[in-house]
Amino acid sequence: MVDPASGPFLFDTSAESWLARTRQAEVLSWMRAYLSRHQVQVSAITVLERVRGYSLLWRRTGEERRQGIEAARVAYLNALGPVWPVDGAIAVVAGEIMSLLPDPPTQPQRSHHLAESRQERLTRWRFDQLIAATALVARMPLIHNNAADFEAVRSAIERSPERFPGLGPLELMRCSSLI
Amino acid sequence: MSRRDAAPGPIKKRRTTLTLPADSLLKAERIARAKKVNLSAVISEALSEGLRAHAAAERSEEVLNAYRKAFAGFTHEEAAILDGIILEPAPRH
Repeated sequence: MVDPASGPFLFDTSAESWLARTRQAEVLSWMRAYLSRHQVQVSAITVLERVRGYSLLWRRTGEERRQGIEAARVAYLNALGPVWPVDGAIAVVAGEIMSLLPDPPTQPQRSHHLAESRQERLTRWRFDQLIAATALVARMPLIHNNAADFEAVRSAIERSPERFPGLGPLELMRCSSLI
Repeated sequence: MSRRDAAPGPIKKRRTTLTLPADSLLKAERIARAKKVNLSAVISEALSEGLRAHAAAERSEEVLNAYRKAFAGFTHEEAAILDGIILEPAPRH
């Protein structure tokens, strides 16, 4: 179990929504305890991914659902705590990670008749690398729900510590291990 | 020095009468004796702590409610898109 008081933590895009959607009483208690001491910190990349998602859904849907999607987007922006910008230091670390791991560690996702394109998978992989770089520079543990991508980044950083002087290891916490 | 730069003045205090549980009062008196301060100081500190915790719990509920609204009512595929996983109709081969 992760002590909520030991935060603050950086929340990956997948973790933020997993924790917001959960109905598990123990997880909700953990979130309440965390929020009473700290704020949910995210990367600007998470905000980008989320707002892009709301915007795509808004464009794809009919008039009858657009108001609801816009209300959800506004609620998300109201819930936002501190947002870490992608600054010079984060760009340097992300560049090193991207050079070590140019290709995504897993295939694009599929769901019934829908699929993620290779281009979108690569974009998401780059975004995850930027989020991992943010956690490293901010020296915060990263809460995630995407082990395949972030464990690959963590291992690569451990194999090449000379490229990340004074930084690391990347500390990862899976959503399911919080309680 | 402008008025805005002035150091904050002493905290305003008000006298009041409260009815408190006897055992809590007894504990507060013990703490006051141990810390060599008066009972008002101990009660005031405990009240401030309680009010801070209450405000934090309120903030926490506000954020959780906003998050619930932000992610409610979406299908599995739509939720994936909100997480940055952009799913499109798969091309037919």
